[in-house]
Amino acid sequence: MHEMSLMGGVFEVIEQTVSQHKVKRVLQVKLKVGALTNAEPDALQMAFEAYGKDTICEGAELLVERIDVLGRCQNCHYEFNVTGMFFLCPKCQDINIEVIQGEELLLESLEVE
Amino acid sequence: MEATRREIEVMANLLNSNDTQAEINRAHFRKNNCLAINMIGSPGAGKTSLLEKSLPLLTRSLGVGVIEGDIFTSKDADRIAIHQIPVIQINTGGGCHLDSKMVSKVLPDFDWNAIDLMIIENVGNLVCPADFDLGEAFKVIVLSIVEGDDKPSKYPVIFRNAKAVVLNKMDLEKLTDVNMETMKQDILAINPHIRIFEVSCRNGNGLNEWISWLSQEVIEHREHEG
Repeated sequence: MHEMSLMGGVFEVIEQTVSQHKVKRVLQVKLKVGALTNAEPDALQMAFEAYGKDTICEGAELLVERIDVLGRCQNCHYEFNVTGMFFLCPKCQDINIEVIQGEELLLESLEVE
Repeated sequence: MEATRREIEVMANLLNSNDTQAEINRAHFRKNNCLAINMIGSPGAGKTSLLEKSLPLLTRSLGVGVIEGDIFTSKDADRIAIHQIPVIQINTGGGCHLDSKMVSKVLPDFDWNAIDLMIIENVGNLVCPADFDLGEAFKVIVLSIVEGDDKPSKYPVIFRNAKAVVLNKMDLEKLTDVNMETMKQDILAINPHIRIFEVSCRNGNGLNEWISWLSQEVIEHREHEG
């Protein structure tokens, strides 16, 4: 359940952000979570509710966008979706694949009033 | 009222505070010419057993320190202390992984002049520790073959992020249905650059190869950083 620790990070960012803006209430929190992380959306949801209780975020909606893994072949530079976690270039069969997307754990935006 | 609703772009990394502290830890290890590794595996995979078997061999030529992550007990640290190795226990008190702040708190308690290699044994778990950088040079997985050949494909994140995997309990191969070819193929499909060691902590087979690789890593790290 390291989603609780990750949510600690979310709330750190939220507090910092709302302190710089005039915010009465947070209505929606958008996260981007790469498939090459171990953050589980349902567990994040639970952690969000637990953390949000009695705060400016109570009752807010959490949206978790899952980001697919995108690889770039370091030999032929072909970019492709890495499916099934098999890191192999479908064009030239090279195994040196740089991950260019899919490792994100980001707070994208807040909707506030 | 609807007009007061607005969106604030943030784009902030949730691991920012952990990653920042991890970089400070990394600088500390570098300054002290020390290779730090983060050892990760399921409960019972044999992380502490591998340490117990490795320490007498490693300490012939290297100064070694150990940080033991455990949820509640000091059982693992007690096993290591018998070997006259500087060891510090971190109890996470229920937490499923070590983070860089927990590690930073114990760093002042070691004599860094005497340590070339710091082994951080994480809490037994193949999932959560994968996301938390501790400031290590690299991660090593300990996986016992009796856990099943499906484990690499079920826990790809950690296999993608590790430099080596020690497949332990090889002495039990004939007693199980594990398919070693499947296991190794899946590991290499996720991470073609990973080093695979097949060992038995019980009978000592395969330990020498692992030890000489790790010792070489310490030397190369020192030359590279020094």
